[in-house]
Amino acid sequence: MYAGEPAIEAYGLGMRYRRGWALRDCSFRLPAGRICGLVGPNGAGKTTLLSIAAHVLQPTNGSISLFGEAPGSVESGRRTAFLAQEKPLFRRFTVAETLRLGRELNPGWDRRAAEDIIRAGDVPFDARISTLSGGQRTRVALALAFGKRPDLLMLDEPMSDLDPVVRHEITGTLLAEAAERGTTVLMSTHVLAELENVCDYLVVVSGGGVRLAGDVDELMSVHTLVTGAKEGDGMPPALGHHTLVESRTSGRQFTALIRPEGPVTGPWDMNAPNMEELLLAYLRSPDAPPLITPTAQVHGQGFGAGAVAA
Amino acid sequence: MSTFTRGSTSKSTGSTSDGKNGTTGGTMNGTTGGTLKATTAEADRRPRLSGMTWLVWRQHRAAFWTILAATALCVAWIVHQRGRLVDFLDGYGYPGKSLDEAGGTFQQYGDAFSFVSLGLQAIPILLGVFLGAPLIAGDLENGTAKLVAAQSMSRTRWLATKLALAGLVVVVSTGVLSAVFGWWWNPVKSEAMVMDWTSGEAFNTTGPVPVALTLFSVFGGVAIGVVLRRTLTAMVVTFGFTVVLQLVWGYFLLSLGNVVTVTTNKGVTDENVFPSLPHGAYEIDQSYVAGSGDLVGWGTCSGSLTDAARQVCLDKEDVVGWSVRYLPLSQMNAMQWFGASILFALTAGVVAFLFLWGRKRLV
Repeated sequence: MYAGEPAIEAYGLGMRYRRGWALRDCSFRLPAGRICGLVGPNGAGKTTLLSIAAHVLQPTNGSISLFGEAPGSVESGRRTAFLAQEKPLFRRFTVAETLRLGRELNPGWDRRAAEDIIRAGDVPFDARISTLSGGQRTRVALALAFGKRPDLLMLDEPMSDLDPVVRHEITGTLLAEAAERGTTVLMSTHVLAELENVCDYLVVVSGGGVRLAGDVDELMSVHTLVTGAKEGDGMPPALGHHTLVESRTSGRQFTALIRPEGPVTGPWDMNAPNMEELLLAYLRSPDAPPLITPTAQVHGQGFGAGAVAA
Repeated sequence: MSTFTRGSTSKSTGSTSDGKNGTTGGTMNGTTGGTLKATTAEADRRPRLSGMTWLVWRQHRAAFWTILAATALCVAWIVHQRGRLVDFLDGYGYPGKSLDEAGGTFQQYGDAFSFVSLGLQAIPILLGVFLGAPLIAGDLENGTAKLVAAQSMSRTRWLATKLALAGLVVVVSTGVLSAVFGWWWNPVKSEAMVMDWTSGEAFNTTGPVPVALTLFSVFGGVAIGVVLRRTLTAMVVTFGFTVVLQLVWGYFLLSLGNVVTVTTNKGVTDENVFPSLPHGAYEIDQSYVAGSGDLVGWGTCSGSLTDAARQVCLDKEDVVGWSVRYLPLSQMNAMQWFGASILFALTAGVVAFLFLWGRKRLV
């Protein structure tokens, strides 16, 4: 199950701001070569998690390692690229100067990769950053991140200000680049539609902790969406011995997302959930028992393992 | 102003083998028009900036060039003024003839010093507020600190390059101005009517003092900026800090010297019994000295109506002579270096703080 070298391993990561804990006891593992969606509602701690990994913040407790190295080490600084949510760029620089920044500060700079991304968006090289539109700026920032040729690319809400066409096109570029070089991508978002057909790995954070982590196919296969006629209040007792993630009723119907602990029998429709249904269920019910599949577990982390029939 | 960097940028863009980018380089160069050839050649001859140095220079080039250009203008003005001053002094016959008799004809040459000195004394405040405070606070506020931190080079390197380049520009600019201003002032250095050497207008504008004051103001501004993380707030607080620094410095300025005391024993009433101080000495205070060696205020017995009554009064107090405390002009250099070394030590402390903070919390 422990496939490949881990790109990220987080151990009991906690981050406390003045107003309280943004992240608490957060442990997970991301194997190398995966494209991982980091999902969670606003304020769930996604940006905090990425910022700690990118050595922008120091965690209050716990630790994180990138390819076995601490954030901020020379090795991890060279192998990872981080694109912050606000996509900061020097406003008075031209696009060409911004790319030169990438070349001057990164020994393994890939000029063609960066320039191709700029050219694909028809962004003029002599335009100043301050005159570009939001989407063009995102493109320049992405070019800077890609040009670094990282082994781990961390993107914080990368597509939030792009129109659907550009979003689609940039996603295509991202996937192609990542596939070609085996880059590990950790991409935070709260737009669930961005994830379908993009990610093969998921980490869901909510309320400061990890709720769900693992391979997408595996996560799908261990959940069942049960639909049936409502009998009285709450869950039908026959479903009681399965792990309930979320149940909803509408009219005389109930829908429940469960993690079956054995064969599910009963007069209900049973379907595999799609990614959006799965994520929505976890995001809506912060009290649901968390599920960390074995590939996403770090050493000494046992909880949730028994729930996976793998 | 931007010839240097523009030249190197076009070079970097132009060197690509790709046709489309080559065109881009062409349009960029087109904007510089006729100066293109000259600037490219110039850029080739000069050592090309690279890596972090390039980034920091590019980011702050407007500020750096403004400082250097203003310095050059000021130096040209001072050289011109010195030429006029020396011409006047030669024609007048100084130092054979005292300037006290020159009266109004010398006025304009003296005023030129006060005017330029005022500008030079404002440099620590101006550079602290407009160069020091935004130097890193701007990056923290705009998020560009995160952008730089996301590249392969360490933040310590970024911090070191920023401080080194800003420090270099400050030292070059203030060092040259201080030297040229001192050179202008040198012919009339001992004339208190031009500039009193213990006053800020001479003491803070010559020797190592302007360099030390400015460096401490600028790095203090940087430290304020990294703590407050807001450009405007940092500028306001830095303004307060630099003004307070000037006041404190002015207050302790005379304490930097070793006060010389001269005493006489020829009484205080006769002619020519007042001790003669070296030319250009700054008198701190004077008092009568009694036979026991105790000091007696020079106002003692001033209430006496007649000379005889005064003499009786002085005898009663056993006044035997004058005691005068002063700072000779020859101490100026030592005082300036002593004060500057205190400021340099404080600056080193600020730099140490910045690096410690840089390891903990830079972005």
